[in-house]
Amino acid sequence: MSLYDMSCKDTMESLPLTEPVLLILLSLAGQPMHGYAILKDVERMSNGRVVLSTGTLYGAIRRLLDDDWIERFEEKETPRGRQAYRLTSQGRRNLQMEIDRMKHITRLATLRVATKES
Amino acid sequence: MITVYRSLLRLYPAEYRRVFGEEMLAVLSEECDQLASRRSLARVRLFLREAGGLIGGAVREQLRGFLQIEQELSFTTGRFAMRNGFRFPISTIIFMALILGCVLTAIKKGQDIASSVPNVNPPLPIHIQPVHSILLGGMPLFFGFFYAAGLIGWAILYALRRSGVHRLADVSTAPK
Repeated sequence: MSLYDMSCKDTMESLPLTEPVLLILLSLAGQPMHGYAILKDVERMSNGRVVLSTGTLYGAIRRLLDDDWIERFEEKETPRGRQAYRLTSQGRRNLQMEIDRMKHITRLATLRVATKES
Repeated sequence: MITVYRSLLRLYPAEYRRVFGEEMLAVLSEECDQLASRRSLARVRLFLREAGGLIGGAVREQLRGFLQIEQELSFTTGRFAMRNGFRFPISTIIFMALILGCVLTAIKKGQDIASSVPNVNPPLPIHIQPVHSILLGGMPLFFGFFYAAGLIGWAILYALRRSGVHRLADVSTAPK
């Protein structure tokens, strides 16, 4: 088994992502962000439905760093305690896989519901 | 509030605090600043959410450190997921169910035999203590012993972890 296959297998086992993790990855998809900005972005994206606590956010960040889905982003003049994070290429690939999975389910659900209604 | 958060951060493992402690405090203080002008109810809600999150996070990280279990607990969604390393093998469940079935069948058979021949054994002149009473008497002692052994083991592991001896494995003597 190649390293790529193993990585794909690990990714498939990590999917589906929990909603907080998905929203964290989505907030980092655009640009690097630090902890507080991620918290606020997650809240905004979910229309206030998902409100992460700092403990939950950093638990997820630790796991994502360990799994190499995100990385620290070194800024030139970073204030103390404001570390930014960004997606790695692996994280972006995994996020894309999750989005594809969700698209497939949405398509399937639309089709089934439409068939039932007609 | 920040003082309380700082105290709660002490519940996390030292390594975790070293890496994320300052960042987490910065985020918490930014949240407090944002809420300074808001109603006290919003501040109480924030405090409860953050304190709960910190305690839950600390428990997860300590568990991860002690047991090396990679578990994902999301209190926001209520989802609990375990990775492969800690999956309960399905064969174990089958064997356990099989053993339970055999034990129950044996008990039933024994009861049937006992009820079909009620007075086959004449009463003995001496009193013999039933085996289950001996077992029940010994059970607390048995469990107490293993509970104490478990506690001692846990204390040793905790002391080793606090001493930082596990980090010696990462020490490299040869230059990279």
